[in-house]
Amino acid sequence: MKRIICIGNVLVTEDRAGFDVFQRLRSMPLPPDVEVIDGGLACLDLLRLVDGADHIVFVDSVADDDIEDGLVVWDAEQVVSACNSEHYGHGSGLPYLLKMLPAVAEHAVPPIQVVGLAPGYSDRTCRQAATLCLLLVGASVARDGGHA
Amino acid sequence: MPTIQVPMNRVEGDLEIKAEIDGGVVTRAWCSGTMYRGFERIMIGRGPLDGLVITPRICGICTTSHLLAAASALDDITHAAPPPDAVRLRNVALLAEHAQSDVRQAMLMFAADFVNPAHGAQPLFDDAVRRFAPFRGSTIVDTVRETKTLLEIVAILGGQWPHSSFMVPGGIVSLPSEADLMQCRLILRKYRSWYERRILGCTIDRFAEMRTLADLDAWLDEQREHADGELGFFIRYARALKLDQVGRGHATFLSYGSLPIPEGSSIEGRNGSAHLVPPGFLHQGILEPFDPMNNAEHVRHAWYIDYDGGRHPFEGETKPYASGDEGTKYSWAKAPRYAGQPAETGPLAEMLVSRHPLLTDIVATCGVSAFARQLARLLRPTVHLPVMDAWLRETDGDAECYRPPGEVPDGDGAGLCHAARGALGHWIKIRDGAISSYQIITPTAWNASPQDCSDTPGPMEQALLGTPVADPANPVELGHVVRSFDPCLVCTVHTLRRGRTTGSLRVGLGP
Repeated sequence: MKRIICIGNVLVTEDRAGFDVFQRLRSMPLPPDVEVIDGGLACLDLLRLVDGADHIVFVDSVADDDIEDGLVVWDAEQVVSACNSEHYGHGSGLPYLLKMLPAVAEHAVPPIQVVGLAPGYSDRTCRQAATLCLLLVGASVARDGGHA
Repeated sequence: MPTIQVPMNRVEGDLEIKAEIDGGVVTRAWCSGTMYRGFERIMIGRGPLDGLVITPRICGICTTSHLLAAASALDDITHAAPPPDAVRLRNVALLAEHAQSDVRQAMLMFAADFVNPAHGAQPLFDDAVRRFAPFRGSTIVDTVRETKTLLEIVAILGGQWPHSSFMVPGGIVSLPSEADLMQCRLILRKYRSWYERRILGCTIDRFAEMRTLADLDAWLDEQREHADGELGFFIRYARALKLDQVGRGHATFLSYGSLPIPEGSSIEGRNGSAHLVPPGFLHQGILEPFDPMNNAEHVRHAWYIDYDGGRHPFEGETKPYASGDEGTKYSWAKAPRYAGQPAETGPLAEMLVSRHPLLTDIVATCGVSAFARQLARLLRPTVHLPVMDAWLRETDGDAECYRPPGEVPDGDGAGLCHAARGALGHWIKIRDGAISSYQIITPTAWNASPQDCSDTPGPMEQALLGTPVADPANPVELGHVVRSFDPCLVCTVHTLRRGRTTGSLRVGLGP
């Protein structure tokens, strides 16, 4: 199974990009082997959804001055390199999960990408992010952005 | 007099500790929540049931606790009486969250400071590194592996995870089958086996025999497995670091009462209590009955519009006021007080109010400390895991789990329970069919509160006093004391968090 896991806080404007992309994906036709999940605020608890999957794409809010068009794709290693906390904490996020993953996974770690949306993203960026997620998991995409 | 600021946001996200040091010890301390949350404002004008969906998103760890508090507040307004099996399954879901949180906090958060270079000369340091080195220590890896399945219990019982909303006024809306209940018991059995083997080094039944500190010391010397287990190592290393001599605090403890005993259960509340965790207020060694009307929130030192004294949550308001009084106001967290007094909540408070023999004896013998708080957290699963299994066994797969309470009328309701970190309350007022007021007091609001209207420090501020700090550039001692409270500022502070700066990029602007 390929999973698109959208994370963030729907109640915090700066952090709701994942939820908005989740809503967009839910309105699109999806291939049968692709699951879309609203991961909310979970961190380590997403491990069960990652371990054993064939391919994972996370969607999250990011802040980086150098992001073109408000949309970026990182691989897991780039995100892990951003993990500067050695403590697991209530605010631990994706970097902690991805850094911990190789040591605790029961199966081979699947390919992982992170689609990031910068603050102030538009509806168009949100739609592009949803389409990008489908492309990253290998789905063929129709002209309207949904699964062909 | 040197003052240091400890950016606990490295750990908890939104807590800053400022400490004044004189003669190598902390003489004053201030806990500051640095984020305005505003959930109370978000709720106003919404439908009566909206708290069931919105408040679980306050925190990524305590979602079930907030769901239960929200449902309980609506139970209160509607005078709903959830059926016994609904009570059982609500309790089991809550305890699954506790069981995961207790061990993760102890091993992934608290013990991470055991490998701080400041402790490099300790004889047990190399062993600590082998166990707790971030991301690779054997205990760290094992804890993540073994705790990841526990929340499947919530998913099975609630029919969904994350964002379960299966608790509603009148009970629960999911109908777990016999196979579902069996699956929950299998998950629990596997976890209990690991907890006994790896954490305790003995069975829960054996551990429950211990009633005094002397018993604990004898047990520690009894077998190599006891001393080498994670609990045994914690006891030995924490004592070497003198964590039993720091973090005393006010020694006042609060329990709202949690985990109502379902009708017909084989489980009994301690001393005849209607709750597994009885309600009570313990101060100066005297246990008083808990009166929910004694809860009040003070804002003299919090960034909200001032009012005199404290206000009960039903009369409370959350009106941010971030200008002026900068010397006096220093936190976005309000200051909850019980009968005018600061009170600590959490596993140690639960154990002491419950008159747990071992923890009661340890505190009577050695006083309150960071060690006692962590010990209580590590031992709480010895109480909870057997009770979870009993309640799952008692649940009938075909039983009634929901009694429709009808429309939610106008009125006031309180939902009190315990999250993993301690007493949690939701207070809701419905007027003209909509929420007119929604106040939330979280466990960390109690523990990490700023000073109140009498300038009395909050529990954590008080606990830091007297803590020796060897190196102000690396005040690991303060970290031990603060983390013994397991602060979670994500839900305490009352829109925005600027995200975790992680070098050139920030990922996940946070819960």
